[in-house]
Amino acid sequence: MYKFLISFKKETIQFWQDKTGFTLMFIMPMILVFVMTMIQDSAFKLVENKQISLLVVNHDKGTYGDTLTTYLSNSGMFDIVANKTIQHADIQKQITNKTAIAAVYIPTDFSKKMLEKSKQTSSLLLTDFGVSQQKKEFKIIPSSVEFYNDPVLQENYCTSIMYMIQAQLQNLESKQMIAGIYNEMGITKIPKHVDENVQKNKITIDRKFSSGTTEQSIPSSSQHNVPAWTLFAMFFMVVSLGTNIVKERNSGTFLRLQTMPVHFSLIIISKQTLYMCIAILQVFIIFGIGMYAFPYVNLPELIFPSNILATFVVIAACGFTAVSYAMLIGILSKTEEQTNGFGAISIIIFAALGGIWVPNFIMPEMFQKISTISPLHWCIEAFYVLFLKQGNWSDLLKPLLVLLFFSIACQAIAYYTLYIRKKS
Amino acid sequence: MSKPLITITNISKRYNQAHEYSLHNVSLEIMAGEKFGILGPNGAGKTTLISILCCIQKQTEGTYSYNLENLTHSTQSILGFVPQDFAFYEELTAIQNLEYFAALYNIPRKTITTRCMHVLQTLGLDTVARKKVRTFSGGMKRRLNLAIGIIHQPAILFLDEPTVGVDIQSKNAIITYLNELNAQGTTIIYTSHHLSEAEHFCNTIAIIDYGKIIACDSVEQLKEKHNAANLKEVLLELTGEGYRDNV
Repeated sequence: MYKFLISFKKETIQFWQDKTGFTLMFIMPMILVFVMTMIQDSAFKLVENKQISLLVVNHDKGTYGDTLTTYLSNSGMFDIVANKTIQHADIQKQITNKTAIAAVYIPTDFSKKMLEKSKQTSSLLLTDFGVSQQKKEFKIIPSSVEFYNDPVLQENYCTSIMYMIQAQLQNLESKQMIAGIYNEMGITKIPKHVDENVQKNKITIDRKFSSGTTEQSIPSSSQHNVPAWTLFAMFFMVVSLGTNIVKERNSGTFLRLQTMPVHFSLIIISKQTLYMCIAILQVFIIFGIGMYAFPYVNLPELIFPSNILATFVVIAACGFTAVSYAMLIGILSKTEEQTNGFGAISIIIFAALGGIWVPNFIMPEMFQKISTISPLHWCIEAFYVLFLKQGNWSDLLKPLLVLLFFSIACQAIAYYTLYIRKKS
Repeated sequence: MSKPLITITNISKRYNQAHEYSLHNVSLEIMAGEKFGILGPNGAGKTTLISILCCIQKQTEGTYSYNLENLTHSTQSILGFVPQDFAFYEELTAIQNLEYFAALYNIPRKTITTRCMHVLQTLGLDTVARKKVRTFSGGMKRRLNLAIGIIHQPAILFLDEPTVGVDIQSKNAIITYLNELNAQGTTIIYTSHHLSEAEHFCNTIAIIDYGKIIACDSVEQLKEKHNAANLKEVLLELTGEGYRDNV
């Protein structure tokens, strides 16, 4: 045990003096996690449960334009910026100037057209029912509300906004059509119970989450970036641990250790233990920043998963994977340049493929398949299960098994390489 | 006649994918208390032989044995090895390095610091014991390299070019200390390209070339047999004057 402890102490002193490794593993991720979260925060806010700023330029000469504005406001989806003075030609400019990220233009004849349409529909209905003797006359009444959007908005997101506006328009149209029917029958105002029935008694959609819970963690820039950049930093231990192993082997120290009454696995295990501790420390520090420092700079607070044990198991599994990979690279490399070059580049590629920079689900299908070769993909998947999906142990099984398999494979190749070298 | 301390019988070594043997049927007997020199040109097989005897590599053929009484621990615990390269950690202080290697040599925890300080004092490094090794001069590093190899008071000490690249003062200190160790009973197996140093330091010399032992005798006997004034002439006569450039 004493041999292990003194080896651990020696590794700690060496790491403490490895300024490059220390910077890459602690300073770099602290900066990255702040910068990347800030950059991605505005994009994530769009998909969060926050209102979209919508400029409504209402030039309608009637009252329906205002009613539509009220409906849009009551929908809860929009933060309405109502303005009647902006010229039609200037709306695009308002979007460019960031007054809002989308805009709706209600034309001057909106109410007139709406009334005309509802009258026509109700008249047709009443004629069909035999209540009215009016001649059936159908003509298309063109009427349109214009929609403007910031080019940064994704197409599917614009479509959702337009569907919401369309729904409110249909709401208004339905109400006017019923009003028209009552009007044809000589009743000037829709009875209250009918109006309430139309407005409130709608079929609702009961939302259920894949995790089986009734509420879901809202994906925020923190929930993605904090675990993602922690993992990136964790895997960057390849530079420090890999260099440590190569340096030891290329100096006479490795030879000397082989002549001593100590099994080389003890030396390797003491290295691995130290770097496991460093990986856990990285998680504590960077998660701590996400939980306690982010709110001070107006970034969303990192919400720690409720399943502490599972979170710790995932952290340990990710740490062990990073340590195993770094050890393998260190043992296979012949020079420090090889470790630093190949190690760092491979981590950057694994990170890009694995969904560290941009979430995996927005990648093309082919890349989503390729990403499964990256250990970082399975690490971030395991964190997503806890941080976003509120998943349980069975959801974690697959990523944890893949990480375990990857780690065992790395360890086996590394030890086999050492064995072969000694034998040769 | 006493039994040899180390008996090497027909040891051969061929590295993977190599066409030729690095060592070929090497047989030697090294007596206890000897200062045994293994000399030869570059690539002759000196380091390979020492590596095999120190358990770093395995021989392809042949056997070797250590004939030690009262051997309670593994063979490795009675061997000391001082490689040609600096085999320590530059980020650590001298005392941290020594304590680390002492612990790996199973020296009792309570006596480690005292033992380390004593060895450092003997080699004139006690005043810099708590300084980082990276700040040391070449001579200081060479002495620390030796200190680590002898911290566990080995019965057999292997030295691969122990004085290469050091000033005359450090060289003198190292050789003096090695003689003291030998006088206390440590058997020393030594390789060097400093032939005059080897001539004065060693009792017995084995000359190795192309993986084969081509001569093995006392220094005086070798000089007499080859009618040479010094060891340099013996070596040149036996191994020739041609370059040994392996590409």
